[in-house]
Amino acid sequence: MSFDCRTDKHSPSAQDEAKNIMPLPSKLQEIVDDIASMSREEKLETLIAYAESFPPLPERLKEEREKMEAVPECMTPVFLMAEKQPDGGLIFHFDIPPQSPTVRGLACILANGLNGSKPEEVITVPADFYHPMNLQEAVSQQRINGFIGVLAHMKQVAVNLMETK
Amino acid sequence: MSYSHPEYLVDTEWVANHLKDTTVRIIESDEDPLLYPIGHIEGAVQVDWFSTLQHPLRRDFLTREQFEEVASKLGITNDTTVVFYGDKSNWFAAYALWLFQYYGHKNVKIMNGGRIKWEQEKRPLVKDVPSYAKTTYSAKEADKSIRAFRDDVFKQLEGKKPLVDVRSPKEYSGELTHMPNYPQEGATRAGHIPTAVSIPWAQAVNEADSTFKTPEELRALYEGKNIKADGDIIAYCRIGERSSLTWFVLKYLLGYPNVKNYDGSWTEWGNLVDAPIEK
Repeated sequence: MSFDCRTDKHSPSAQDEAKNIMPLPSKLQEIVDDIASMSREEKLETLIAYAESFPPLPERLKEEREKMEAVPECMTPVFLMAEKQPDGGLIFHFDIPPQSPTVRGLACILANGLNGSKPEEVITVPADFYHPMNLQEAVSQQRINGFIGVLAHMKQVAVNLMETK
Repeated sequence: MSYSHPEYLVDTEWVANHLKDTTVRIIESDEDPLLYPIGHIEGAVQVDWFSTLQHPLRRDFLTREQFEEVASKLGITNDTTVVFYGDKSNWFAAYALWLFQYYGHKNVKIMNGGRIKWEQEKRPLVKDVPSYAKTTYSAKEADKSIRAFRDDVFKQLEGKKPLVDVRSPKEYSGELTHMPNYPQEGATRAGHIPTAVSIPWAQAVNEADSTFKTPEELRALYEGKNIKADGDIIAYCRIGERSSLTWFVLKYLLGYPNVKNYDGSWTEWGNLVDAPIEK
């Protein structure tokens, strides 16, 4: 199917649709709720734990590294790709250097929350879904902008996998 | 030829040999503040350029009293030798050092090569966060001779005195309002302060291990662009972190007596109504 921005051509139904806020994929919602309830210190500890358990790029994907999507909004070289599973769910893989633990930690929120989701679900995640987590008390605004950039690129990857199915 | 003030620089080996030295406090200051909790040099404490060193409300640094409180909590006395190191070629290490100098702390040093070199040498990192007994610390009146405000920059322009823009070439030329990969710290206008010469900060360090280039290389680099020892110089970047590294190089490695860091930098100038800009 082709991806089309919602435009005025369907304006009545598009407006109705916009009113119905799509629920977040359940795993992502769980993470958002969890982090929203944490203190600043707990948020930092969670990001550190995510960063430290950040999985290396699987061996079999190492040669794909050059084909991976670079995320220019990020302050560190962030590469990502997704694989489609037989059930249509996506598994995202990231390559982020260990020198950037904050970026790794934030990418983990997205990977853990969205792995297994179908492309159609990934693309409906609103860009401001992270607000309830109040991340800005733990990380700087520049990191959050990078985080939004990563989500935008995950959506792009998801769109590409919809088109090639 | 050696650096003009080699006492402001120590190598990783020196730090490794002074981990237990009670007259020394090692401070990690990073761009990514999660690096410290994941692993730091034994005994080192952390300052974060934003959450530790900035005023909580205004766009400014801590007040003198707030700075005294921070130094006291870190177990630093007026006589402590403070050694700074960090990620990204010591940008924020230099920034923290600059602020310590601003409040009159004399005995400061940078660990040449920073975290990158320490890790390359496979030296140990620990997770234990040390705590030190609170001290009584007495800061000096802010030293405005090393900090430029926007009015100083206007005077610099009137007096046709040298300005050094240490941002990336594309920020200088005005193709970007921000540093590549840092889109959020932008300005409404792109370009550079008129008459500023472009000497990107990275030209002062060796890419391989983040150490500073040799005195000969540094002198050739800055003098080649007419930034000379007798000049009254202001360096700037985007928020003042990269230019504090250049400030350190000019002031201590090359010994230029009159160098200021303009921490308002492009995020102030590029948003300032009526300020002249060149592309």
